[in-house]
Amino acid sequence: MHPHAGASLSRRRFLALSAAGAATGAAALNGCAMQVSSGVSGGGETVTLMVKPDDISPELVKQAQKDIGVKIVTVRYDITKLIGMMTNGAPPDLVRGVGATDAPYFAARDVMEDLDPYFARSSVLRPDDLDPVNDLWRYDGRTQGKGPRYGMAKDFSQDSMFWYNTGLFDKAGVDYPPETEPVTFEEWLENAERLTRRKNGQTTVFGGSYNGVLTPNLLASLTAAAGGSLFTEDFSRIDFTTPEARKALTWYIEYGRAKVGPSIVQPDPNTWDGPTFQANRMAMSNSGYWLGGLINSDKKLAPLARLAPAPVFEGGQRVSPCQAGTGLWMPKKARNKDAAWRVFEWFFGEGPAKARASSGWGIPTLKSLRPLMPAQEDYQKRVLKVQNAELKHFSVIAYTPYATADSLYALFNQEAPAAMNGRMSVDALAGRLNSVMNEQLKRGKEQVG
Amino acid sequence: MTVDQIPVTGSTGPAARADRGTPAERPRISMTARRHRAFYLFTSPWIIGFLLLTIVPMAYALWLSFTTYDGISPHWRYVGLGNYTELFSDPQTWKSLGRTGLFAITSVPLSIIAGLGLAVLVNRPIKARGLFRTLLYLPAVVPPVGVGLTFKALFDQNSGAANGVITIFGFDALGWLADPYARYVLLMSVLWAAGNVMIISLAGLQDVPRELHEAARIDGASAWRTFRSITVPLLSPVLLFQTVTGVIASVQTIMPLLLSPDGTTAGVTALPQSNYLYMMHVFSQYFALGRYGYASALLWVLFVLILIVTGLIFRFTSGVVFYNVDPEAKK
Repeated sequence: MHPHAGASLSRRRFLALSAAGAATGAAALNGCAMQVSSGVSGGGETVTLMVKPDDISPELVKQAQKDIGVKIVTVRYDITKLIGMMTNGAPPDLVRGVGATDAPYFAARDVMEDLDPYFARSSVLRPDDLDPVNDLWRYDGRTQGKGPRYGMAKDFSQDSMFWYNTGLFDKAGVDYPPETEPVTFEEWLENAERLTRRKNGQTTVFGGSYNGVLTPNLLASLTAAAGGSLFTEDFSRIDFTTPEARKALTWYIEYGRAKVGPSIVQPDPNTWDGPTFQANRMAMSNSGYWLGGLINSDKKLAPLARLAPAPVFEGGQRVSPCQAGTGLWMPKKARNKDAAWRVFEWFFGEGPAKARASSGWGIPTLKSLRPLMPAQEDYQKRVLKVQNAELKHFSVIAYTPYATADSLYALFNQEAPAAMNGRMSVDALAGRLNSVMNEQLKRGKEQVG
Repeated sequence: MTVDQIPVTGSTGPAARADRGTPAERPRISMTARRHRAFYLFTSPWIIGFLLLTIVPMAYALWLSFTTYDGISPHWRYVGLGNYTELFSDPQTWKSLGRTGLFAITSVPLSIIAGLGLAVLVNRPIKARGLFRTLLYLPAVVPPVGVGLTFKALFDQNSGAANGVITIFGFDALGWLADPYARYVLLMSVLWAAGNVMIISLAGLQDVPRELHEAARIDGASAWRTFRSITVPLLSPVLLFQTVTGVIASVQTIMPLLLSPDGTTAGVTALPQSNYLYMMHVFSQYFALGRYGYASALLWVLFVLILIVTGLIFRFTSGVVFYNVDPEAKK
């Protein structure tokens, strides 16, 4: 007997239909759980941001709702979670990324949305107002710095510059570095050795820290400063045996061997320079302008701290790149692109961008926001003068699309300690690095196709 | 059939009988079948969880192990047994496996000896016994992340308490978290959680019949002889359990990562070489190098190795483990 409209259901049939309904409902709920935004433009929407806690505070999330009527849901940045969400076809609407290294990697894998059409019609983020650092987020299918824009940096620094503590220089009787002319890397290391203080096998004052943002970017920057390029022209191979790359590698290994600052063989438990520099236990810190955000908040440290230009190699060229350019990008399969772009504009060009610019935690990425950089105190004016002079030497150092910075960093970590501990020559290390890193690049090239 | 026609449970009318059949016609469900049904009913949540959260991921990892998949790139391909053959020529695999074996061989006996020793101590009729039991067990409930942070602070070369004590006596500070000392810090972090072994051993000790100890004492056996000839044999199933679970836990430990100053995915390769254990190698291949296929092959090999080692432990201890089983329970 088949039930029909208006007829009573048998108990068995009722139970079967209920079960089917429940299963369908569960599946639908599951689908809802994966779908993080509505896909409809206009107010009252939800946009998912995969960021780190420091990128956007809970107060800013509330502010977004007030300012632009968009609800922001944050997911903690985690590359494995990102891969999982992308594999499921439900990526976040905006994702944190390091422009210097992530942009070519993800763009080459065709998972990033081309933002040029959005920029073209934006009245907030005008292309002529974008700082050149945003070119780190461009990739033309071959070279970083050219082609469509896939993201934008929230702020930036020239990460080869360094801060120094005049109090510790005075104590050690070492002359301050010049404010507009760069010291050589050799002079920097010599100063670091003179500034280092040790007692009973413990380092009480680090003479200087020089580790860049991530080691691969640092080595690419050092090689550029020596007048060469770490990658081959098509970015499919790396070569540490060229005279320039070898010079860069030799200097960095010497830095590790000298134990004047944190390195793989002498790690800093704080994992970054800020707390050690603030505690007057580090005379020089290879950090760009962004460290001023911390320094400005410490009234004792601020008058003692000064910023210096990026060092140069003798016979090399003066370059002062940004090694990070951290910002946001939009996955190609984002569900709610229009609302995500509204958040993008607000985050990079409106209230949050202005607040960041005046905090000193980095240089604003819109030229129009530069006047907001802190310059009330004498020490701030001095720092700003050095920084403005350094901007003339800014350049984009293109990174390979075939490997993540993490992967090359991991491979460097595996090989370099032997050289830093004196158990391997720099030439042998260069050979080992070429071997393992080129293997990784080869795998990446195969996968990009 | 309409709702009106649904037979009511317990109804005895002819229609109801016709619908359900007479008792003679209905298949009889034996007591064994009922027991089986109840068993599967009650275990089904676990079985479903086991299938979805263990078997499916394992099968997925097995499939991954035959590919070059990296999670994102579009052009991955099948490599057959390529990842497995590469694994055998990868020096890091063998070195990390050797270190892991050494770590298991040292950490498991040490933690069992320490835990058993503590259990014997707190099993004695001493004052404030409950307090001591609590205090000794407390470190075992501290989350591993907390242990990692505490140990990093304690053993930091420049500001750690360990070097603070050493330098008071005029010795130079040691780089505890670097080679060659990092392995000892790792061992200490394992012993820190010996309370787990203690609590299980304590339960075992309390199960040892008091009459046997009294008889041994009357026969003039020393405390050591009593412990060796009565306590240890009766505790042997507990010790076997701790050995097997200890070995499995030790080869899967991620404590080196928690002790690493650079706890990032890429920082895992900056670990001191002595602490670069097999799971660290797996972790770096998965998350630092993005080699999902190769890392999955490493995990499958580890799984097989654990099975073999566990089998060997059972094989070689079968003659020395004494099961005090109630004969009735065997039926």
